[in-house]
Amino acid sequence: MTWKLAVVPERCSGCRICELVCSIQRFGVNNPKKSSIRVMVVYPHPIIRMPIVCRQCKVAKCMENCPTGAIVTKDGIYDIDEEKCISCQQCVISCPFGAIFLHEEMETPFKCNLCGGTPSCVDACPKNALLFLPEHVLGQAQRMASVLKYGHMKEVEYVEKGEKKVLRYADIEKGTTED
Amino acid sequence: MRISKRERRKIKGGYFWNILWIDLDREETRFLEFDEAFALNYIGGRGFGAKLLWDRLQKVNIDPLGPENLLVISPGPLAGLYLPAAGKTSFVSISPETGIYGDSSMGGSLGTELRQAGLDALAISGKAKTLSYLFIDNGEVKIISNEKLKGKGSLESEGIIKEDLRDEHIKVLTIGVAGENQVRFACVTSDWGRNAGRTGIGAVLGSKHLKAIAVRGSKDLPVFDLPRLRIASEASFRDLRQNKNFTFWQEQGLMSVVDYVNEAGVMPTFNFKEGVFEHTKKVNGYEMLSKYKIGDTACFACPMACGNVCLVKEGKYRGTVVEGPEYETACMFGPNLGVHNFGAILKANQLCDELGMDTISAGNLIGVLIEAQESGLLSEKDLDGLNFKWGVEEAILETVQRIAHRKGIGNILAEGSRGVMKQWPHLRPIISQVKGLEQSAYDARVAISMALGYGTSDIGAHHTRAWTIAKELEMGMDWPLEKKADLVIYHQTLRPLFDMLGVCRLPWIELGFDENQYAEFYSAVTGFETPLNQLLQRSMDLYDLTRAINMEFGISRKDDYPPERVFDMPMTEGPHAGKILKREDYEAILDIYYQKRDWTKEGRVKDAKIAMFNDPLVSE
Repeated sequence: MTWKLAVVPERCSGCRICELVCSIQRFGVNNPKKSSIRVMVVYPHPIIRMPIVCRQCKVAKCMENCPTGAIVTKDGIYDIDEEKCISCQQCVISCPFGAIFLHEEMETPFKCNLCGGTPSCVDACPKNALLFLPEHVLGQAQRMASVLKYGHMKEVEYVEKGEKKVLRYADIEKGTTED
Repeated sequence: MRISKRERRKIKGGYFWNILWIDLDREETRFLEFDEAFALNYIGGRGFGAKLLWDRLQKVNIDPLGPENLLVISPGPLAGLYLPAAGKTSFVSISPETGIYGDSSMGGSLGTELRQAGLDALAISGKAKTLSYLFIDNGEVKIISNEKLKGKGSLESEGIIKEDLRDEHIKVLTIGVAGENQVRFACVTSDWGRNAGRTGIGAVLGSKHLKAIAVRGSKDLPVFDLPRLRIASEASFRDLRQNKNFTFWQEQGLMSVVDYVNEAGVMPTFNFKEGVFEHTKKVNGYEMLSKYKIGDTACFACPMACGNVCLVKEGKYRGTVVEGPEYETACMFGPNLGVHNFGAILKANQLCDELGMDTISAGNLIGVLIEAQESGLLSEKDLDGLNFKWGVEEAILETVQRIAHRKGIGNILAEGSRGVMKQWPHLRPIISQVKGLEQSAYDARVAISMALGYGTSDIGAHHTRAWTIAKELEMGMDWPLEKKADLVIYHQTLRPLFDMLGVCRLPWIELGFDENQYAEFYSAVTGFETPLNQLLQRSMDLYDLTRAINMEFGISRKDDYPPERVFDMPMTEGPHAGKILKREDYEAILDIYYQKRDWTKEGRVKDAKIAMFNDPLVSE
């Protein structure tokens, strides 16, 4: 089963803890500029905070465009083979997300390798904006949201064992004249 | 030679060992190396700033808006590191607002970037010939003249400079029109709305013809024992995230304080006349959450994400977007002015951010005008014919604009409370200020420790040094004065320590984070085992140093009193109706306070202590 690192931009607060953890885990230095995940902030129009990180595309543009075959894949995780890499930076400009990074002290570009299978940034994110999910689960949150939007959701508050709880339900009659 | 000297050091990490000094008069930049004792004694942040300022004061007289004034921007040895809320930068200067020592701190990512550029601090003196901005690229400095930035807003300038330098990741510090016009309480802004608001740092930059400072840095930050830091930090992050108030805090941030303060009866209402506001529900955190909030924002490495991004979706302020409001802004432009339209508060916040001025001082001074109009102390002619009434938004927003552009009545307010008192001496009793700095949004009548905190704060009536009000109201109302003085001194010691280290105090004050962890962080980063009490001692010494700086400007016991109305104007409503502070109590607690600090009865630091600060530790 392939696992994916998914991003929920709406939750991101822009604290950059993911960048810190990444640089420490990967290169053993406290340097957000050496991380394979970057939070981009756009403000004031539109207002978006979004961590950019490799999506491990199945049809990988970086791999296609690499002239020396330095992008290698193992268990669906792509990484850069420093031996083969000539640092032409073709992969950096090929990536549609800009998820391959450069640093002046580094000879070759670097990208997310999912920490070999358990990405450190996911646990470190205090807003749960980073998720590590089995591939087939991707999109389920959106599917769920559209289902919830479909039925005019109503809420009932009730008390169970002294604890206040909320139950949601869709009202069959909808009660509006729009249809 | 130099390498062996470095190896002998006790401190093995945490510093780049240099301060970048930019002399704008000569367009000259120098890297100053500092002794280990400088790092040990002053730690960083406002510590570095105060010491550099003290050294300069021994050589020249400083006019806050003159070229000789020094602005020190210093993040502290823990800033930019992997530990909770390590994103604070201190700005230290002689304040144009108070004429004495002033500092302010800012979150965001600017400090991290400065450190990554290889700097422990940045010191700026002199004055550029034309309106310019600095570009610090990994320690390389360019002074770039750009007249096009004249009259541009803070956020607008940030965008322009990012576009100029073609780098979205660059960090830019800017001032707005208020800073350019040297409004005495102008602020500096970075990261689309993080401000160092108080004591008029923006006016200092404006007086130096500096519109902005852009920084790019990519160096590894020096940490002696990174694995040890990581273990301590991971435990700390876990603790914070498991706190039962953590999610609530992320949702509301500082806006959660609004309800608390109103219930406690210490909400600044109608220019600090009252302590409860009847429409609090329209300006509190829940109102914000349900109608206005569209996003969370956090400073560097902070899990708490106390920043709110708000958008006004309907009504006449539709389309207003602002990073905020914080508690202080919501209260100073809300209850303090009788405003209960949250959209108007957001509009005022956005205007102040874009124009680049402190929302606390602006809200406070406008409150004074409204009260002066109400009680007939000022005539309509004095007030430019504006309709100053409690809750009337138009006059308030118009005044904000006029202050920044120094038009009409705005020109008087732009001089700060000292200027207003000079123009209209009869307003003195209704202005809530200490040492010329306008009081921030906590009433001082009820809790004497809070009054003492305002009175003895080294920058003036700001709560950053001692926010003791909650503790006193919750458990200490019947404590003896001694214990209350101790509480104030503990706050005035620990909270500035956070500014010295370059971290935020909110995890400690709001989520009960263990302050001893900072000693662990410091030890791991520097490789020099230091218990918390030693760090606190450094902070105690720093309080003496800032007092010594203030003494050079004639500050003594006479300036250590809380705002006038604390003593003679009881509130009429709320849980503390009828209460005032007794003058004799305050005199008594002030005596105790001086004694505990080992100052004289006149509030002077003893000469032997002052001599300690005279060692030259930075080689020019």
